[in-house]
Amino acid sequence: MTTHIETTPQHVQPGVDDVPAFRRSRRRRPSAWHLVLAPLGLVLIVPLLWMATTSISTLAETRRFPPGLPHSVQWVNFLTAWRQSPFGTWLLNSTIVSVSCVVGNLVLCSLAGYAFARVRFTGARVVFIVLLATLMVPFQVVMIPTLLIIKDLHLVNSLPALIAPNLVTPFGVYLLRQFFLSLPPELEEAAIIDGAGRLRILTRVLLPLMGPPLTTLTVLTFLNVWNDFLWPLIVTSSPHTMTVQVGLATFQSAHFTNWPVLMAGTLMSQVPVLLLFVAGQRYFVSSIASTGIK
Amino acid sequence: MTVAVAHRRPPRRVLPSGGRRARRADQLAGWAMASPAVFFIGLFGLVPLVWSFVLSFQHSNFQTSPTWAGLSNYRALTHDPVFWQSVRQTLLYTVLFVPITLIGSLLVAAALNRKIRGITVYRLAVFVPVVTSTVATGVIFGWLLDPNYGVVNSLLEKAGLPAQGFFTSTREALFCIVGMTVWGWLGFGTLIFLAGLQSVPKELLEAAAIDGCTRRRAFWSVQVPQLRPVSAFLVVWLTINALQLFDEVYVTTKGGPLHASTVVVYYLYQQAFQFFHAGYAAAIAYVLFVAILALTLGELWLTRRLDRDRAS
Amino acid sequence: MRRTRLAPIAAAAATLLALSACGGGGGKSKGISPTDALDHPLTSSITLWHGYTDVEAKALQTLVDQWNSDHPSGKVNAVFDGGNDSALQKTTAAFVAGNYPDVAYEYGSSTNNLASQSKLVDLTSLVKNTPDFNWNDFFEGERLASTVNGKVVGIPALQDNLALVYNKKLFEQAGVATPTNDWTWQDFRDAARRLTDSAAKQYGWAYVNDGSEDTVWRYVAMLWQGGGQILSSDNKSPAFDSPAGLQALQLLHDMAVTDKSVYLDTGNGDYLNLFNSGKIAMLWTGPWDLSSINSDVDYGVTYLPAPTGGTHQTISGPDVYMLFNHSTAATNTAWQFIKWFTSPEVDLQFSIATGDLPLRQSVTTLPDYQKFLDKYPGDKVFVDNLNNVKNARPNIASYPQISSAIGQAVQAVLLGKADPKSALDSAKSQVEGILAGSG
Repeated sequence: MTTHIETTPQHVQPGVDDVPAFRRSRRRRPSAWHLVLAPLGLVLIVPLLWMATTSISTLAETRRFPPGLPHSVQWVNFLTAWRQSPFGTWLLNSTIVSVSCVVGNLVLCSLAGYAFARVRFTGARVVFIVLLATLMVPFQVVMIPTLLIIKDLHLVNSLPALIAPNLVTPFGVYLLRQFFLSLPPELEEAAIIDGAGRLRILTRVLLPLMGPPLTTLTVLTFLNVWNDFLWPLIVTSSPHTMTVQVGLATFQSAHFTNWPVLMAGTLMSQVPVLLLFVAGQRYFVSSIASTGIK
Repeated sequence: MTVAVAHRRPPRRVLPSGGRRARRADQLAGWAMASPAVFFIGLFGLVPLVWSFVLSFQHSNFQTSPTWAGLSNYRALTHDPVFWQSVRQTLLYTVLFVPITLIGSLLVAAALNRKIRGITVYRLAVFVPVVTSTVATGVIFGWLLDPNYGVVNSLLEKAGLPAQGFFTSTREALFCIVGMTVWGWLGFGTLIFLAGLQSVPKELLEAAAIDGCTRRRAFWSVQVPQLRPVSAFLVVWLTINALQLFDEVYVTTKGGPLHASTVVVYYLYQQAFQFFHAGYAAAIAYVLFVAILALTLGELWLTRRLDRDRAS
Repeated sequence: MRRTRLAPIAAAAATLLALSACGGGGGKSKGISPTDALDHPLTSSITLWHGYTDVEAKALQTLVDQWNSDHPSGKVNAVFDGGNDSALQKTTAAFVAGNYPDVAYEYGSSTNNLASQSKLVDLTSLVKNTPDFNWNDFFEGERLASTVNGKVVGIPALQDNLALVYNKKLFEQAGVATPTNDWTWQDFRDAARRLTDSAAKQYGWAYVNDGSEDTVWRYVAMLWQGGGQILSSDNKSPAFDSPAGLQALQLLHDMAVTDKSVYLDTGNGDYLNLFNSGKIAMLWTGPWDLSSINSDVDYGVTYLPAPTGGTHQTISGPDVYMLFNHSTAATNTAWQFIKWFTSPEVDLQFSIATGDLPLRQSVTTLPDYQKFLDKYPGDKVFVDNLNNVKNARPNIASYPQISSAIGQAVQAVLLGKADPKSALDSAKSQVEGILAGSG
């Protein structure tokens, strides 16, 4: 009707709409959505812009208020952040921990999420609520007893200590459970009639349809584990087990923050997450959901 | 114009056909699949939870053996005016944060769920605040909202409006934190909703298109109802996080000015790590826990009730 | 971002019993109190946790390397612990986890909490009886901060004090006479008023107003200048609700609310950036900020101004190295290292490398001391100002709460939300309640 703002073909044609956008660009006007999205996008990235300009400033330039643009580009800040510390080791540790947690979550949350969504077993509802309940006490309160458990397992100051508590999270279980619930039950019924077991239903029938939520879980798990500060802080005690977030604290002390180097280090530490997101959101593209309908 | 496919029965547990043996198989399968998660979360989530519960009945300064306090921590809480102020402020914060973020995320996800040129850039931009460190966010918002030198006040002055105190105002501090956290969480909600929108089965949309549905109609009648489990999740998740707000308060106002932005977890943190009243902090945590549990159960029950109503 | 940060049930019950018995540190806090001089041959290496970064971290490592090459059987492993702000939490967690260090750098404000830790080494006999240690060579403020209930719990690691730092150019431009060591509160207030220009968004003074100890300790300096005290001598009742306490709050009110010559910093440190940008004329700050002042700012340092009939007293915030016991051999190494590290010659080397104030009075008599003064001209007044440190904040368990109550009062007055008298009365009754409850 008159308010539709996308100049895609007038009627949906399966097959045509899989064609990438640029191929059809000749027939497109720039979308009016840019008027909304561009200012929104700008507002959202202001802190990132500040981080970027700070990372290429000199220390003296960052000590002015209000902040301004640097006069020259100080790439040396990135070098300093990398060299002044075992930055490479920290990145490696963070990567190992985050990737392990992502894998653990993808596997275990899928299993548990499906079980809680579709499989009837006694106590499911209660157990699920209990799992959720563990989210309801702030970490500052439970971190000491968690540390005691790690100590009893003889895992203090090790990478497994960083992985184990996050290997599977109630967040992941809950998220996937909801997505499993939104899939039509009819999909499973056919498989059940064919005599397939629950595991097979999960892996063959349902998981292939769970691309977007699994990608989302990957990105968010990676992000949360990668950015965790407090737990790695108290469980590691030597530079070779530290993660990037704890390591970044090296550029900050009580009275002095080396902002340019800190921001350079922070930006470097956020690159993996952003890359993961970009890679993941490409996977999100679903042609039919975004076609114009008259 | 109705969209024939829009009415769906709410998701329900699938009863395996095959009678008792199949039900037995389900019991085993269910427990087998859920056990690893239950084990890990039980060990690292439940055990500390119970330990902290015991701590709430003790006096401890973390260094020496705790002494038994019985109910005195809880009794002291009832007389603590700062605690109750933090409760009110936390609730106010939650009531503002959750709906704004939920609806905002939905709208932004809808806006991003299209194939215009550069959509990847916009999606990335929306995600950036999620990735931006809280420290950097605090610094930026502190600067933007600085009463003397901030951009926002100079814009207000140019428009002839009075300058505001923002983080330094007892009336405005909490609302500034709402704004800051909505900004930070929008990307998270959008990501979840985008995943949900992208998961809508294609057949439904095709059917809607064939029925002659407009895009906007299809959005509200087909896609949004499909998002209900996801929305329910987001409401619960956002609520749990809102009630446990801490980081943003810590990097901006430190609960001030004059406790105006003190929220429950911040107060808990002060009690534990500044005043060394570990048992008292645990008691605060447990009152909070009960509140969050009650609210969550309420929200879960409500969504199930709504689902059932819709089905009838 | 969000932290995340059945057999389990049975295991939980068992662990629970074990955990609640363990508590935080286990056992009564007797501490280890060596009475011999601990000068045995070194047989054990040790771990030292610190929160130093940048220049200070390098200086520490250089000296540690020097020690290690001279003492191969008693090496020191200096480890960055994630920053001083979280040192207390980290050390506390380490006692629980069993991986606590032999030496840890801690804030002075943490000493009271850690004093009850059973693994702490009680240094009282050591500092008094070790020949050539000269405990009294440390400045009085440091010794007070290192002592809890008569027990010496740490060796000074760092000290500072508050002085008046001002921007010479702004004074010149406004035609105002620059501060001197003899300034009075009146001189100070007048200058701040004349240096405030609301059109140019320039302020005469900056005050950190986040309600934390940063807000309180400047006020405490003013309280002491007028002859007041925070608590009575037996630490059982508040004493700050005196004429001295009132006049201090009154000055803050007059300057912030009446003259509007004070920039109220929210605790994020913007005051320093503003000082660098020529928007603030005077600061009450410590030596740590000097290295952050840009080279294009010509600054001067003087003592704090004094009230009529009062003194130029200032306040100091020393940090300490605390020793924790693993074994006698380890404590032996730890003590000897700290003794060496805080000895006059070594401390001077550290100060020359970092600009941190000397820990011992005798350092100022060493021949190389002039090198320190030449390299850090701004530090001269800070060192002299150490003689104006005559008091210390009460090192009792409830001090953080007391500070919070006073901080609220100061914050309320600065924001114009309460008049000095009612703010003071409110703080006083809160503190009475705190002291009564903390039996």
